Amino acid sequence: MSRPLSDISACGIGLRSPHVRQVQDERPPVPWLEVHSENYYVDGGPALAALVRLRADYPLSLHGVGMSLGSTDPLDRAHLARLAQLIERTEPALVSEHLCWSGVGGRALNDLLPLPYTEEALAHVCARITEVQDFIGRELLVENVSSYLAFADATIPEWEFVAAVARRTGCKLLCDVNNIYVNAVNHGFDADGYLAVLPRDAVAEIHLAGFDASGPCLVDTHGAPVAPPVWALYRRAIARFGAVPTLIEWDTDIPPLSTLLAEAATAQAILDTPDALAA
Amino acid sequence: MPSLRELQLRFAETAFADEDAPPPFVTIPPERAVERMAVYRRALCANYRNVLGASYPVVRKLVGVPFFNAAVDAFVRAHPSRSGDLNVYGDAFADFLERYPHAAALPYLADVARLEWAQDEAQRAADVATMPDDVLAMLAAVPAGQLPSVQLVLAPSCRLVASPYPVLRIWKTNQDDAAGADRVALDEGADALLVRRDSGGVSIERLAVAEHVWLAALAGGASLGAAIEATKGRGAALDLAAALGRRIGDGSIVGVVAP
Repeated sequence: MSRPLSDISACGIGLRSPHVRQVQDERPPVPWLEVHSENYYVDGGPALAALVRLRADYPLSLHGVGMSLGSTDPLDRAHLARLAQLIERTEPALVSEHLCWSGVGGRALNDLLPLPYTEEALAHVCARITEVQDFIGRELLVENVSSYLAFADATIPEWEFVAAVARRTGCKLLCDVNNIYVNAVNHGFDADGYLAVLPRDAVAEIHLAGFDASGPCLVDTHGAPVAPPVWALYRRAIARFGAVPTLIEWDTDIPPLSTLLAEAATAQAILDTPDALAA
Repeated sequence: MPSLRELQLRFAETAFADEDAPPPFVTIPPERAVERMAVYRRALCANYRNVLGASYPVVRKLVGVPFFNAAVDAFVRAHPSRSGDLNVYGDAFADFLERYPHAAALPYLADVARLEWAQDEAQRAADVATMPDDVLAMLAAVPAGQLPSVQLVLAPSCRLVASPYPVLRIWKTNQDDAAGADRVALDEGADALLVRRDSGGVSIERLAVAEHVWLAALAGGASLGAAIEATKGRGAALDLAAALGRRIGDGSIVGVVAP
């Protein structure tokens, strides 16, 4: 049976293939693991077997990157069926996806693309989230994404759009603090004002990762340590939302496992003493 | 105000356009919008290059990274991804390389790609619970007269790859841990290969031509009799008893379907 993640308030790590063997052999004392769901949309084989074995020792979160919740193409039923099958096999504590679109016209772009924050997009994506929640028979966590462009016809600020999605669908929010910081810099808004609008009860998980600042805007690469201003924003997020389960993500230039564990320890220290550090 | 669908279609078009162009319907001025769109375009390119590079490491090593990346960029435009699961993307890469004019001087390249994709698929194919003794018992239960009509079921991970070129040696020589700078002569012989996965992982085995033809026929759904018939004139005669014993014993044949 699943160990309920709701009982813990701790920082886990995103498990990526270069670290699977080491985690299996060494069983580091990390409180929970998150994987990209699609990497296990397989019929069998060693990767899935390893995940099922790890699942016996660690609470698990399934994080999807390919559902394309905001696309105007029909939902991919085969993709949904794979997710449902993986949920059945691994009994995850959490299941999450992104508030974005990833393909259109039958073509997948396999990236997390921003929606225009309009009433049309809000109604559309809410209907799709409900469709997914109905299909898998459980609550979905939906994550705010980073963006490098904003659309001219947007009528709703991003933070209100995200909050409205949670209110309308009853889904939970996966609050990516790094993405809020990246977007605040890229689009020139106040990150604390964003946090203040998100419904407290809806935030069920927090993501932390690093960005790249070498280009024309901040880019969410998941390829660097969490930046100091993101740590500061995270402290304020914990002060507002409480000790929400937090995850360190690293997807490009993946460092040694020890680096991820050290980042997780830094987050854990903040989770353990939010008031002392929130100042 | 464009509809959500129109916006998404136009955005996707710009993302895959051959030249940098500003995306539609955005808030920032066109010259800065081109720059921001380029961030997405670079991310898309890098994503597909990495994904195919992980599936086709030897192809990438054979042609070098710049050539490989250019080939992937062209492939993505000719055969766009259709799934949110990137792990299944790239099955058409071998066929694409076969017709890719810039790779015409490397006639073996497409077959090396086929060998790599076969391993990729074998790695994530369904597990099998059937044991060799189970299969032998199933076979023993078939009346002798009906044996030619049975179908033998191959394990989901089994893939058959054939090439006029020595692709297995090319593949082995280009592994990171390969010893020395082995030279492979393109005319040193054709390859008939069985790729499969067992508890030890994915393996590649070189087969006699007749056995390869026989297994390929079985994989295509031919009856045992028809599969034997297909081997006639294809290299040294098939030793059926030996081949059956080998392929049941190693877990390649996992089921018997009576007529």
